[in-house]
Amino acid sequence: MSVLSDQGASQPVSILLVEDDAPTLWRLQDALTKAGFQVTSAATLADARASLAQAGPKVLLTDLQLPDGHGNELIRETRRRCPDTEIMVISILGDEESVISAITVGATGYLLKDAFPTDIAATVRELVAGHSPISASIARFIVRRTQSTAEPPPGPPLNTAKLTPREIDILWGIAKGFSYAEIAGHLGLSRQTVPGHIKNIYRKLEVHTRGEAVFEALQQGLIRL
Amino acid sequence: MTEAAPSTVSSGRRRWPKRATLLVQYLLLQPLIIVLCLLVLRIPPPEPPSRYLVTDFNLRESGAEQVVTLPHFTASRHTMNDPPRYSGRFTWPGGEPRPAWSVMLPRFTNGVEVAINGVVILDSRRNPAANRPDRNTPEIAVIPASLLREGTNDLSIRLFVWGPIRGFLDRLYVGPDAELRPSYDMRMLLFVTLPVVFSAWQAILAVILGIMWVMRRHEPAYGVLAAAMAIGVGQAFFQTPLEASAFSRLNAILISAAPLESALVLAFALLFFGWKWPRYGWLIFAPGLVVAAAGLVGDATLSRDAFMLVGAPTVGLYLIALALVIGHAVWQRQDAVSVMLGCALTIVLTCWVLDLLSVTQLVPSRRIMFARLSYSAMLVAIGAALTWRFARALNQVDGFAASMVAQVREAEDKLKASFVREEERARAAALARERTRLMRDLHDGLGGQLVSIVALSERGNAGAGIGDAARAALKDLRLVIDSMDDIGGDLMLALGSWRERATAQLRPHDIALVWRAVDPQGLPVHPELRPWHVIQIVRLLDEAVTNAVKHAEARRITVSIETTIDVQADSQPLARGRITIEDDGKGFELDPADRWDPGGEAAAAAQHAARGLRNMRSRAARCGAELELTSDAGGTRVRLTLPHRFPDSDAAAG
Repeated sequence: MSVLSDQGASQPVSILLVEDDAPTLWRLQDALTKAGFQVTSAATLADARASLAQAGPKVLLTDLQLPDGHGNELIRETRRRCPDTEIMVISILGDEESVISAITVGATGYLLKDAFPTDIAATVRELVAGHSPISASIARFIVRRTQSTAEPPPGPPLNTAKLTPREIDILWGIAKGFSYAEIAGHLGLSRQTVPGHIKNIYRKLEVHTRGEAVFEALQQGLIRL
Repeated sequence: MTEAAPSTVSSGRRRWPKRATLLVQYLLLQPLIIVLCLLVLRIPPPEPPSRYLVTDFNLRESGAEQVVTLPHFTASRHTMNDPPRYSGRFTWPGGEPRPAWSVMLPRFTNGVEVAINGVVILDSRRNPAANRPDRNTPEIAVIPASLLREGTNDLSIRLFVWGPIRGFLDRLYVGPDAELRPSYDMRMLLFVTLPVVFSAWQAILAVILGIMWVMRRHEPAYGVLAAAMAIGVGQAFFQTPLEASAFSRLNAILISAAPLESALVLAFALLFFGWKWPRYGWLIFAPGLVVAAAGLVGDATLSRDAFMLVGAPTVGLYLIALALVIGHAVWQRQDAVSVMLGCALTIVLTCWVLDLLSVTQLVPSRRIMFARLSYSAMLVAIGAALTWRFARALNQVDGFAASMVAQVREAEDKLKASFVREEERARAAALARERTRLMRDLHDGLGGQLVSIVALSERGNAGAGIGDAARAALKDLRLVIDSMDDIGGDLMLALGSWRERATAQLRPHDIALVWRAVDPQGLPVHPELRPWHVIQIVRLLDEAVTNAVKHAEARRITVSIETTIDVQADSQPLARGRITIEDDGKGFELDPADRWDPGGEAAAAAQHAARGLRNMRSRAARCGAELELTSDAGGTRVRLTLPHRFPDSDAAAG
C-alpha cells in the first residue's frame, strides 16, 4: 500500500488521530500506519490541541465524544487555524446526528469505527485526493432537509439554502445508491466533476459567518450532542 | 330619471356596445308594438246587422229641439234633471210568426232610459256595470210584444250624463232579439265578463302577494304590488252609486283608485328594480290622496273634476315614469323580465293615450275604452311572473340545499383526509423523535461497546468470530436506525444505504457488487411504505447476499432494480417494482429434503440455504411481495416482485 502519487512517496501524509477508546485508537492507528500514513494520536481534546499547536496535520480524524470536550470544538478550531487540513469525523453508526453536526463545523467526511482496515486507509486516501466521501444516509438526510416542511424536522439544524438544484440532484443520486458514474450519466455530467460537486456541497453546508456561528452555537446548545 | 344613469360607471367598458345594441333594439321594438296595438284596436267590436240600425233622432235638450244622427255627443252636465231626450222611430213588420224584438245600445255614457211607445222598458242606471264610463257596457232590452204596433213605433231615449266627460250615445239597433243578442253577448264577454275575470284573478294574486310580503318583509315590492291589486279589485267590485247614500262619500273615494294604483305600480317598479327609495318618494301618492280627499269632502262634481284635472294626468305621468324606469332596467339588467314588462307597459300606455284622445274627442271614435282592461291584464301578467319567479327561487333554494349537502360532505371528506394526513404527519414526527432518541442511546451505549468488541477481537487472531458477530450486530443496528428514517415511501433511499453496507460487507470477500438500476427513479414510490416493510425487504436482500457469500462461492453479485408494468385485463396497468439478485456461484438444491444427508458438508450448506430460503419467503409474504428463486450450477437468482400496494399490517404473514 502506498500513498497516492500526487502526494509523493517521499512525503508521507500526516494524520492527527483523536480517539479516547484505546482499542479503537490502536485499531485505527494500526490500519493507517500500515497503509503508510504518518499518524499522531491523541486521546483527549487537550492533547489534540497541543498537537495542533505544533504542526498542522494534513488530515484530522476525530471522535466526537471526548473526555474533556466535544470533537466539534476541535474541528472548528482546526478549520480556523489550519484551513488546508482535511477533517473527518469518526462515527460509530454513521448517523446524521454526529455526522451532520460535524459537517456544519467543517468536517468533509466520516469514518465508521468498525470499518475494515483496508476501507479505513482507502477512505483517507480518497479524502487526501480531494474526494470527500458521502454516504447514502447522509445524502438522504441533506436532500430531505431541502424539501420544505411545515415544521423543522428533528435532528441537527442544517441550512441547505445555498445548494444548487444540480447539487441536490447529485445528492438524490447518492441517496438512492447510484455510483458517481451512474449519477454523472443520469445528469449528463462528466464523471470527474462529481467529487468536486460533493466537496462544494460540504463547503456550502458549513456554517461560516459569525452570525451563523452564533446561531449554530445556540442550536447546538438547544439540542444535545 | 335618465337612462344614462350612473350605472354606466360600474359596468365594464367593453359591455357598452352590447348594451347599447340591446337598448336600441328595445326602443325600436316599442313603436312596432304601438303599431300592432293600433291595428288590433281598429278591429271594430261586434255589431248586429246594419239593417236594424236606427240613427235618425230628434234631440230635445234644454228646451231646444234639433235633428241628430247617432253617434252623438252631448255636453257634460252635473244634474240628472231634464236629461237630453232622443226621439226616433222604427218600423215593426208584424205578421206571423212574431219573433221577440229588442232594443240594443252598444255604447253610451253614462246612463240611458229607453221607452217604447211611451213605456219605459230599460233603465241602465240600475245596472252598476253600465254606470261605469270606463267599461264599455252594452245594454239590451226585449220589447214586450204588447207594446209593439205594426208599422211605425216610437222610440225615446233619455241620456243621463254626469260629468266630467261628455255624454255619448252610439248608434243603436232595434230588431229581432235573435239577431241582436249574439253581438250583445260578445260585447258583454269582452267588456264586462273579462274585466271581472281579471279582477278576480287580481284578487287572488293580491292575497298571494300579500302573504308573500307578510312572510318576507324585506321585499316590500310584493306588498306594494299586492296593495295596487287590492285597490284595483276594490275599484272593480264596489258599486258606483247614483243616488246619495250613507256610503256615497266613501264610495266617491273609489274614483281616486286610478292615480293611487298607478303610484303603487310605479313604487313597485322602483323597488323591484332595486332603486333606492327617493327621499320624497311618498309624494307620488299625493295626487291620489288629493282626489280621494275631494271625493270625501266635496260633492260628486268636485270629485269628478278633481279626477279629470289631477287624476288622469297623474296616471299618464306615472305611466311615462314607469316606462323610463323599465327602460333603465332594460339597459341595466338586460334581462327578459324587464323587456317583457316594458312591452306590456307600452301596450297600456298606447291604450291610455287612445282613451284620452277618445274622451277629449280629439280623434273620431266610438268611445270604446281599453286602458283599464289592458292595465288589469298587465297586472295579472306581473303577478303571474312574480309567482313564477318565486317558484323558481324555491327551486334554487332546493338546488342550493342539495349543493350545500354535497359541499358539506366534500368538506367533511377533506377534513377527514386532512385529519388522516395530520395523524400521519404526527405519527411520522413521533417516529422521527423516537428514532433520534434511540440513535443517541445506541450511539452512546451499545454502539460504542460493539465497536470496542470489534477492535479487541482484531488484536488476537482467536477473536475473529467474535469480531464478525460484533460487526454484524453493528450492521444490524445501523439497519434498524436507517429503516426508521422517513424515506417518503421511496424504497430506493433504503436500497442506497443497503448498497453501501453490502459493498462494505463484500469487499473483504473479494466479491464484486454490480448495481444495475434501469432508470434514475428505479422503483415506484409507495406512500404506504412503513419501516417494518423496509426492514423485511432489506433483511431479505441481506439474506440473499449472505447465501451467495457463505454457500455459493460467488465472485460477483448483480443487483438489478426495475419497474415492471403489470397489465391486467380488467383494470389499470399496475407499476410494480422488482429487485433481482443474481450470483455466479455454484447454486444449491432448492429442496434439500429429497437428499437428506446429515453428515455431508454440501448438505449442511443446503440446510443453511434452506433456512435462509424459508426466512426469505416468510419476509416476502409479510410484505405482500412475490419471491421467485431459481438456482442451478451457473448461479442463483432471487427475484423479488414488490406488491402494487404494501399491506397495512403483517397479519398477512399467517
